Amino acid sequence: MTAAPRPLLVVGGGIAGVTAALEAAEAGRDVVLVERDACIGGRVLRNHHYFPKLCPPTCGMEINTRRLERNRRVRVLTGARVTACREDGGGYEVTITHAPAYVTERCTACGACTPVCPAKVKDPFNLGMAEVPAIRLPHPHAWPKRFVLDRAACPDGCHACRDACTYEAIDLAAVERTETLAVGAVVLATGWDPYPLERLPELGGGRSPDVISNVQMERLAAPAGPTGGKILRPSDAQPPRRVAFVQCAGSRDVNHLAYCSAVCCLASLKQAIYVKEQLPDAEVTIYYIDRRAPGRNEEMLTRVAAMDGVRLVKGKVAKVEPNGAALALRLEDVDAGRIVRAEADLVVLATGMVPRSQDTSVFATVIDEDGFAVERPGLAVAGVAHRPEDVAASVRDATGAAARACIAAGRSA
Amino acid sequence: MAAIPTLLPSHEFREALRRRGGDTASRCFQCATCSGVCELAPDEAPFPRRLMLLAQWGQAERLAADPAVWLCHQCNDCTVRCPRDAKPGDVVQAIRALVIEKLAFPGFLGRLVGAARASWPLLVGLPIAFWVALLAATGHLAIPVALPQHWAYEQLVPHVLIYSVFFPAAGWALLAAWVSGRRFWGLLAAGGPPVSFFGGVVPAVSEIATHKRFASCDAARPRRFGHLTLLWGFVGAAVTSGLLIVGIYVQHLAMPLALTHPYKVLGNVSAVLLVIGATVLVANRLGDGRKAGAATAFDNYFLTVVALVIVTGVLSEVARLALTPEFALAVYVVHLGLVLCLFLTFPYSKFAHMLYRSLTMVHQLGGAEASRS
Amino acid sequence: MERLGVFLCSGCGIGEALKLEGLTAIAEELGAAACRTHPCLCSPEGAAEVRAALDDGTVGGALVAACSARAKVEAFAFDPTRHAVERVSLREQVVWSHPAGDEDTQALAEDLLRMGYARLAKAGAAKPLAEAIERTVLVVGGGLAGLTAARTAADLGHPVVVVEKAAAAGGSLAALAEVVPAGPPYDTLHANPLPGLIAELTANDGVRIFTGSTVASITGQPGQFHVTLATPAGEVALTAGAIVQATGSRPYDATRLGHLGYGASPNVVTAAELDAMLAAGGLKRPSDGAVPRRIVFIQCAGSRDPDHLPYCSADCCSATLRQIATIHHSHPEVETAVVYRDIRTPGQLERFFLAVQQQPGSLFLRGEVASVSGNGRLEVALRDTALGGDAALEADLVVLALGLVPNSADGEAIRIHSDAVRRAEKGESETQREEARKVAAQYASHQGTEILHLDYRQGPDLPALRYGFPDSHFICFPYETRRTGIYAAGTVHAPMDAAAAAEDGAGAAMKAVQCIVAAERGEAVHPRAGDITVPDFFLQRCTQCKRCTEECPFGTLNEDEKGTPQLNALRCRRCGICMGACPERIISFPDYSVDAVAGMIKAMSVPEEVEEKPRILALMCENDALPALDAAATLRRGWNPWVRVIPIRCLGSTNIVWIADSLSRGIDGVILIGCKSGDDYQCHYVRGSQLAQTRLGNVQETLQRLALEPERIRVVELAHDEFARVPEVLDEFAATIEGLGPNPMKGF
Repeated sequence: MTAAPRPLLVVGGGIAGVTAALEAAEAGRDVVLVERDACIGGRVLRNHHYFPKLCPPTCGMEINTRRLERNRRVRVLTGARVTACREDGGGYEVTITHAPAYVTERCTACGACTPVCPAKVKDPFNLGMAEVPAIRLPHPHAWPKRFVLDRAACPDGCHACRDACTYEAIDLAAVERTETLAVGAVVLATGWDPYPLERLPELGGGRSPDVISNVQMERLAAPAGPTGGKILRPSDAQPPRRVAFVQCAGSRDVNHLAYCSAVCCLASLKQAIYVKEQLPDAEVTIYYIDRRAPGRNEEMLTRVAAMDGVRLVKGKVAKVEPNGAALALRLEDVDAGRIVRAEADLVVLATGMVPRSQDTSVFATVIDEDGFAVERPGLAVAGVAHRPEDVAASVRDATGAAARACIAAGRSA
Repeated sequence: MAAIPTLLPSHEFREALRRRGGDTASRCFQCATCSGVCELAPDEAPFPRRLMLLAQWGQAERLAADPAVWLCHQCNDCTVRCPRDAKPGDVVQAIRALVIEKLAFPGFLGRLVGAARASWPLLVGLPIAFWVALLAATGHLAIPVALPQHWAYEQLVPHVLIYSVFFPAAGWALLAAWVSGRRFWGLLAAGGPPVSFFGGVVPAVSEIATHKRFASCDAARPRRFGHLTLLWGFVGAAVTSGLLIVGIYVQHLAMPLALTHPYKVLGNVSAVLLVIGATVLVANRLGDGRKAGAATAFDNYFLTVVALVIVTGVLSEVARLALTPEFALAVYVVHLGLVLCLFLTFPYSKFAHMLYRSLTMVHQLGGAEASRS
Repeated sequence: MERLGVFLCSGCGIGEALKLEGLTAIAEELGAAACRTHPCLCSPEGAAEVRAALDDGTVGGALVAACSARAKVEAFAFDPTRHAVERVSLREQVVWSHPAGDEDTQALAEDLLRMGYARLAKAGAAKPLAEAIERTVLVVGGGLAGLTAARTAADLGHPVVVVEKAAAAGGSLAALAEVVPAGPPYDTLHANPLPGLIAELTANDGVRIFTGSTVASITGQPGQFHVTLATPAGEVALTAGAIVQATGSRPYDATRLGHLGYGASPNVVTAAELDAMLAAGGLKRPSDGAVPRRIVFIQCAGSRDPDHLPYCSADCCSATLRQIATIHHSHPEVETAVVYRDIRTPGQLERFFLAVQQQPGSLFLRGEVASVSGNGRLEVALRDTALGGDAALEADLVVLALGLVPNSADGEAIRIHSDAVRRAEKGESETQREEARKVAAQYASHQGTEILHLDYRQGPDLPALRYGFPDSHFICFPYETRRTGIYAAGTVHAPMDAAAAAEDGAGAAMKAVQCIVAAERGEAVHPRAGDITVPDFFLQRCTQCKRCTEECPFGTLNEDEKGTPQLNALRCRRCGICMGACPERIISFPDYSVDAVAGMIKAMSVPEEVEEKPRILALMCENDALPALDAAATLRRGWNPWVRVIPIRCLGSTNIVWIADSLSRGIDGVILIGCKSGDDYQCHYVRGSQLAQTRLGNVQETLQRLALEPERIRVVELAHDEFARVPEVLDEFAATIEGLGPNPMKGF
């Protein structure tokens, strides 16, 4: 028997990374999972529901966190980044930089610190749509269940939280530290960012609070969101009567993202259901180029298209302009062969997914024209890091990527 | 009931479109952003999306009959926003060139001008050569010995010579334009509701005079100014030419006219407008490629001839006042050749957009007029 | 477990909100071997104290009365083969959700402590299975997905057997020269990887490929599947540890799409026929062998059509683009036109779409085809939805981009059919036989469709999810199979394109290998991965009622001729549904049993009627309802203090005796909170809430006989994220119970 293979390194603690780590660990491999955020779950936990089942992502993450807790083979490093990587003898030597642990593992999540914190920050979990104390539990389902501190927001000399903590879990003088690991292979699951609204001014992005992105819409519908799950117009906190979904806002557009982001059609169909379930009288219109609902997802298209008060209009929205309290849309309705000037109270831009190539560059990863990482032996790629795809596909190929990484790591031993 | 159209794709059309710089049409995936951004598109049957599909499928007949081709002022708002970089502005420009060629009378001249990329030396050279030959044959290629200090071009090239060339040339151009215009009007009117031609003329002229529609385009605002200036420069130059005929043959004015003479003032103001307009348009063409659209040989040919007509015209006057008569005559001959070229190729070059767009506007506004009454 | 230790945490506000001496007194009353209090039990120092007590034998099991069992898991994780540990959620279920210092709050904490103690007392150490495990992976289907699975499993160090029905491996894509790009550059066709893959596998001694072969039978369980293959050389017997089913798909029957002219004209062909034509090296019009000048592709032929295939087949758009690219490569003069409803080229395939669009002679038209007519030269009549109105296209060749139909067999449907056939013959009454004949007729199409020939009580193949695809029901877990150790991959799994099928093959192979590794370690697989407990059947008391064998969602239990359950522990997923089903209470896990929960119910204090304090039992699913309750507590949302929560693995594990015990003890109401049932069920054990509902339905009659209102028992479905709703549900139920008045059984 040769020496045990080196551990795998999984970069990214979203659904793809967590899956890759668990699948490898449950097949008997040691894994180090590195997540830059304070807790795992990435983008999926910011979704209200998954399409087409309309089930909460926290449910699957519950099982995954329990798998992680039970499995001693995965070492989860949150608040950490890979800052250097060098190939060595068929594997990699990586440097991991841990962000300062202002709140340590001693934290029990008792919550004594939050009420005494004088500083407020934009809530990153809710995409800046709410304000929260600088020290807090990131969200109700956070794992690890540990508080985080936005140290930059602390007033000078304030140590109210440290004084309130009974468990010596707060270290305001914590510093960044690094460690070096030898790993056998890497799975890149660095995920994506939403395409910024501000780059779509012609569609009203950044020009009206009532033009929001699809990821923001998920937060509006989520019970742990800024409105407690009520769909309200950001400008006046009123329920919208007319909601317009603008598909391909940035995607399939050489001026923005040349590729199709693969999930936005289904996300909008799903969000149309959110709206109709909460506001049965609301008028919902989805403006599209092509309705992309592959496989069984077609059911959701059929279901939404048949809903009362929901219309799907073929035609890309050309302009969204603030018009008094409402928003004016202009487009050609292709089926009618006519210019349509529509009004909406809330416009949801189906913004696309941008791969986080800034997180893959440390591995000298080859990226394609669109910034997606290209796999090579010893460096497997999973999820949206290599192509735009939905959660089910991400999990599927995270499992395959775990297999390929195990194979490569096995060889390196 | 109208017969069901059979979409027959045309390879030849695609090839012709490619030659005219419209091959980007194949990139179009029918998202309709172009129609949505176009401020000139009518609410019913908007464009350019429809034109893009017809262009992909090579539907030459349907394109020739489609008023949208001419309602487009090529502001390129659509090209700037097109998510596929299919450049609808360029495609519609290429379609216009193809329609001009298709409706040309006689057809071979249309094809000749249409092939300006290759034929331009002929198109420009032949009229200049004609003038050189004519002047040589009539003995006007030499500078008269007794030329006064304040000479007029009439003393170099007699008016009669000029009018005996330009009247027939203009007549021919008008005839050719009339034939093409008739064909076009027939296509526009086919199957449509009745249209009042005369009802449309007045509103159309007033629109053209102000370039009202052009004002709604976002992407190429400077072009409207240039185009409008150029238009009024041409109108001024045409009026001046008419007044001169009156001046020479009715008023028997002595040439050259003083710089303060109203006719002279009008002529020079027109020249200034032409220079400004042409400069703006040329600068725009050389500027931001996306907004300006693609430069095709057909387009460049026309723009260059117009620019050279203006340059040689202005230079002729400057030369008469300040330079040697020999040089002035040389410039003047080139100028006459270029003007002749402009006259003769009017119905076949981009100049013809004046004809087709005006007719389209008359048709559109006349239709509105007819439906009102 | 004996010598139980109680470890109380006074941190996180527990010490301030509760009288800990009251809890200590209860521990002593219960006879705890030790009772210690720590200010922060989850700290390394606190946890070390528990560990030391377990290690030095002071205590045999530990009751950690601190935070929720879902918090600080690692701190309180001890070797399950040696120690039993139970958690009491004093923090989430008591002090975070109820007023400090209140009498009811204290009573709640004391009850939970008693209940936890009772459960721990019944818990035992786990004894993992240690069986001989076969490491071979059997791959059924030798197409792209199957061969990718084979290569992945082989590279992971496992012997592989591939069974392919056709005479050669490779599947539907084998003959293609070039395929749709699966990576950059995306604007061009790529060389077909299949020939290389086949050569690689053929050269690999660890991989055996049986072509022209099928599976004759499979018995046994993961790690120990006994497989018989029917091969051209006769039957071959082998053992396998896990199975990947990659049997692919076939095109929809084109003759059912009469309006598209298939069969009426030889010049209407299917996409598969065009592929065969191109692979044979000739683009020919079938009627006269001439090269067609105009080809019209009709997309969604059969797909996205409620009368045919309601789903999108996901592959046809890119397959059509591939065919066009291939045709234009060899025949640039040919014109192709695609009639589509929506072009579906997700991700970077948009670049491939653009590249194909730009090829001269490549045209697309949004439209709905009405009919294809003509014989030699065809006319495609359509509603042109791009320009409006009707239009027609002339074509020399029409290609139907047919949807795909999975090569699957619905194991459960086959079982229903064979059961019905048996009942139709041997039924007790004519009505029963008549009814059975109807069912048999309804399921007749499933007869003889077997692929895997599994010897499972629940049917010979994977159960189908929808439209015949044996897909997982879970977005997060696409390999969550209902037959442990058998994983579907490729187009039989779900509609997908070739690149996704290959990726799926690799994933399924990983799951198969993982299942073998888990079997070697005696561990359960997903979702209770790592669980080393095994259900114990005390068969001496079995009455052969067959409820366990019928209700097991994973086909774990076979029956012998008498109907006695035969446990295949390696198929088991530890959900406890059999335990809930058993009327004789003979099934139990070391850490979860009917007795343990019954003990907890017995440990609950039931106030006298005069106290006017009802007592309510809440049985809550630990995957969704309990986390939602914890989240509500985290947000400090309170609920009725009369409620006592018992976490259970699945509502399906609810044994009816718990309800009977509760009511007979005078407990005033029982609420069961589980996952969503129905078509979009959320239960990882398939039908938990539904089974609980059915079982409770069976006791309603008894309730009425005892003059108990049916409203005293309620089943609620609740999702993981409905933390705002849990307190409301509990409060509302408490109000209902208060309205009903005390349980008349109180005091009996």
